[in-house]
Amino acid sequence: MDYQEEIEREIAANPILVYGKGTKTAPRCGFTLETIEFFDRFGYPFEVIDVLENAPKREALAEMTNWPTLPKVFIGGAFYGDTDILGPMAASGELQTKLEEVFGGPSEQRETIQLR
Amino acid sequence: MIENKTLTELIRAAIPDAEIGIFDRTGTMDHFNVTVRSREFGGKTLIEQHQLVYGALKGALKDGRVHAVELKTIVAEE
Repeated sequence: MDYQEEIEREIAANPILVYGKGTKTAPRCGFTLETIEFFDRFGYPFEVIDVLENAPKREALAEMTNWPTLPKVFIGGAFYGDTDILGPMAASGELQTKLEEVFGGPSEQRETIQLR
Repeated sequence: MIENKTLTELIRAAIPDAEIGIFDRTGTMDHFNVTVRSREFGGKTLIEQHQLVYGALKGALKDGRVHAVELKTIVAEE
């Protein structure tokens, strides 16, 4: 199976995509949970794909990004590392600008918070 | 599990001028908070800076000596 092709398809299909350990509702790693909570604050839809049990896919991801750890975050098709990168980008406002560009406007953050 | 000394050596092998701070987050010697300061980071994006450090730690992450790293990079002035 060609994981690179599968990964490219997933990245193209999801404006915010997190490859992590565990799922959105059942994260199995503190850093994955931290990343989910991070994006919850922004109010844009995002997808989490669990690759904990899929070693060859994890390997393909590491090769593609030159980044050995999980989670790995993709926004608008580009690799953005993890919250060590996104945290400073959020603080500077750069991330908000990028997300508005990708989603074509500000998020409906209030509604999202009510839903949770 | 990995000694701070070994971790430092791995990073210095890739980034010779690195000033390195290591904090064992869990007391189990495999979840680390790592700060690296180097002139090599100058002119690089944050992602590229982290990729440089992760490149150095690739082997240790792959064989499981290191499970997780919280990484901070700082550009040292000339």
